[in-house]
Amino acid sequence: MSDQQNQSDVSPIDYASALERIGGDEDFLNELLELYTTEFSNHFEKLQDAIHKGDCQSIKDIGHTLKGSSANLSLIGLKEISYQMECAGQDKDINKAKDVLLILGKEFQRLKDYIDSR
Amino acid sequence: MKLNEFFVTIIRMKDQIKHQNNRVAIQVLIAEDDKVTMEILKKNLRGWGYNIVTVDTGQQAWKILKTGDIHMAVLDWIMPGMSGPELCQKVRQEKRDRYIYLILLTSKDNPKDIIQGLTAGADDYVTKPFNPHELKARLETGKRIILLESQLLESQNKLQEMATHDELTKLWNRRAIFQILDEEIIRSTRQHLPLGVIITDIDNFKRVNDTYGHQAGDVVLTEIASRLKKNVRKYDKVGRYGGDELFIILPNCNLVNLDFVGRRLQESINRKKIKTSQAEIHVTISLGGASSESAPDTPAEKLISESDKALLNAKKKGRNCFIISKKIQNQ
Repeated sequence: MSDQQNQSDVSPIDYASALERIGGDEDFLNELLELYTTEFSNHFEKLQDAIHKGDCQSIKDIGHTLKGSSANLSLIGLKEISYQMECAGQDKDINKAKDVLLILGKEFQRLKDYIDSR
Repeated sequence: MKLNEFFVTIIRMKDQIKHQNNRVAIQVLIAEDDKVTMEILKKNLRGWGYNIVTVDTGQQAWKILKTGDIHMAVLDWIMPGMSGPELCQKVRQEKRDRYIYLILLTSKDNPKDIIQGLTAGADDYVTKPFNPHELKARLETGKRIILLESQLLESQNKLQEMATHDELTKLWNRRAIFQILDEEIIRSTRQHLPLGVIITDIDNFKRVNDTYGHQAGDVVLTEIASRLKKNVRKYDKVGRYGGDELFIILPNCNLVNLDFVGRRLQESINRKKIKTSQAEIHVTISLGGASSESAPDTPAEKLISESDKALLNAKKKGRNCFIISKKIQNQ
């Protein structure tokens, strides 16, 4: 995952583009990021559960949902990793899903650190 | 109505409808299970002046689309319960009075998926992450179509009203009332119920017109139409047969009821003068009635001709009088 290592140097969010998408309202963007982190935690737990059960359809669906909401907030890394999760579900590749889950967790932590540091 | 008057009315109608449409609040359903995307959609659509209803599953969306008054819907492609394309398909399969403009929201952007969505019945699609300016413009397109449809429906309704109603009295016109009569005869025969009819006209109406003018005559005729309507049941039909002749259809009405209704109508006119700008005028009506009670297969022509003869007899008897045809009664 050399792409991910490279991404760790860049910001987890393209702040300017996210802000533009919601009409420049910074308070609203902060609210959305807060909502995202809460939602992410729920999805992450469901993903763990789905991987444990080998429920590939759920892995694919949750990956897809996370991809969408990450994209809307310009969370570039999270969007890409969620897409990989969706593909793992699609390909019924549980081992890949397990690997991607670890990377997803790390990238999410990076976002949390970013939010806390602001 | 003359042809040029008709066109002037149509043009006026179109202007009125246009004016009304500018004030129409468009109801948009947003179906999206991702809360972040939902919040962005809600904020944007409210800001653009749409009334919104939000749901987060396909089933809830279907429930609202089926029963609610929704003009446009923004549907996420993948949702729990039912997908966006499935919803589009269900909406299009249903017979509806009004069109719902459907926009799919999707992160799928390959041509195969887009074709699948549009084939399922979507009007348009927006890819995630959506650009708000693009979404706004696409919603505007939908709004234009919805407003156009609402203009068409509105003028269709008004034309329907004009084609079936008498302009002055707002009663059913001659063609409509006889069409209703044919339908009611079929229904009464099938249900083995008696059908009553009454023809009535204003006594000495020519004298009213000659003495007080035609405008006063119009007021008298309109007031009589309104009193007759108030004095029959909701499902009875009152129409304008000719100049001052009115025709009343009374489903499930036997001879006893017919007698009762006729007298009540006669009295509703006789008991109170009619106010016109010229004077308060006392007028009376004569009525002729017939019922299919004792002759269930009586055709429309017979009911009309018998009630018409009864009306002539009522006139001969000195007016302000109600007579029921004995001919059908004795058959």
